[in-house]
Amino acid sequence: MICDRMREQIPECLAGRLDAATREKLIDHLDTCSACRADMAELGVVWRGIDSMSEPEPSPAMRARFLETLNAYQEGYQEAQRRQAYNIPQRSFWAGLWPSRPAWQVAFSAALLLAGVLGGRYFADARATRNPEMAQLQAQVENLRQLVTLSLLQEQSPSSRLRGVTYSYQMTQPDPQVEQELLHTVNHDSNVNVRLSAVEAIGAKFGRNVQVQRALVDAIAVQESPLVQLALIDLLVQLNDKDALPALRRLVQDKDTDDEVRQRAGLAVQRLESTR
Amino acid sequence: MGDEEIMKDVRAGNVGRLELLFDRHSRPLFRYFMHLTGNRAVSEDLVQEVFFRILKYRHTYQADTTFRAWLYQIGRNVCMDHAGRRKGEVALPENAGEFSSAEMPPDRQYQNKEETALLHRALAAMPREKREVLVMSRFLDLKYDEIASILKCEVGTVKVRVYRALRDLGDRFFALGGERAS
Repeated sequence: MICDRMREQIPECLAGRLDAATREKLIDHLDTCSACRADMAELGVVWRGIDSMSEPEPSPAMRARFLETLNAYQEGYQEAQRRQAYNIPQRSFWAGLWPSRPAWQVAFSAALLLAGVLGGRYFADARATRNPEMAQLQAQVENLRQLVTLSLLQEQSPSSRLRGVTYSYQMTQPDPQVEQELLHTVNHDSNVNVRLSAVEAIGAKFGRNVQVQRALVDAIAVQESPLVQLALIDLLVQLNDKDALPALRRLVQDKDTDDEVRQRAGLAVQRLESTR
Repeated sequence: MGDEEIMKDVRAGNVGRLELLFDRHSRPLFRYFMHLTGNRAVSEDLVQEVFFRILKYRHTYQADTTFRAWLYQIGRNVCMDHAGRRKGEVALPENAGEFSSAEMPPDRQYQNKEETALLHRALAAMPREKREVLVMSRFLDLKYDEIASILKCEVGTVKVRVYRALRDLGDRFFALGGERAS
């Protein structure tokens, strides 16, 4: 028993981290116990041997890849903050313009309505002549976005695939090819973060599509990462997808399900059932 | 400036400051993964993943934990996710030569190279849990209270586990070398 306690101090002693009193006790014990002395000698050889193992260095590309991801994230974050910052003064500006007396409010509303009707007629005429060119241009931009998204999603580097997922948000029209590629990413991408981002993108862009919802339910069973499973469950609850209930119940009953996932699936079942 | 102060800045939205934490911690983290996976490319990918999760979940950082302990908690989760995807694969070092030293006389260098290779084989053959706790204590120089926080156990438990891991490494090393220290 004493020997066990003393031996547990050996690594700290070899690392030079023992306080003076404990170290003295250990040394006193080693003076009287040959077995512990032998243990200390052997472990000392191993401990010093580790010092001679020089450690491998990561490639410079690792830092470059990290900086690429960080910059992409920072750009997105700053963009989001800019949008938020613009919203605040706009609200207070319009609130300041709005008259406080009800009579003026009615008059102001009527004037706005009249301006809207007249303006609508004028712009409808103007648009009729410009529309085909604008529509063509918009279609070209949309095609370009689709092309960039699809090619980025097939890149080798996870950060490029992440950019591809982010790019899919900019598409104004839901595109079936991008939808399929994002679903493929959710099911088969080797990187958990890319899969997580793809789940978010699908939720934002294609969540209302019933076929996509079915594919998301199927995806839960094939996921190995509990984090992605949690994200999928949350998304199905957010979409209020009651058809997901049987799959979620199976997840709750499955012995192999991760504890946290089982718990979240249970809560999801409760929530979906309560909204019936 | 301490890691915790920088991480508080990152949490508050100054995400560019994470570059500083990456420069301080990415190498030891890479080595931690190298010892657990034995694969350079995978280890680099896992480092990327850890720092991405830090960005994504930065609001969950609590200042009462040291940044290092939090970093390796995330690192452990990332590694377990990876291990879950690759069940059955045996982690072995890609190249024992990477761990040798060149600043010694030729005969001592040879002996040292052999011992180093044996130590590396012994370490790679250890059960994952023991290898992990030893890597944290001996290679990353983490304090026992930090290891306890990462492994979510008592400091006393860490003490016992580090000793047992070192003993296990010693047994394997001497068995491989066919000799015992006198």
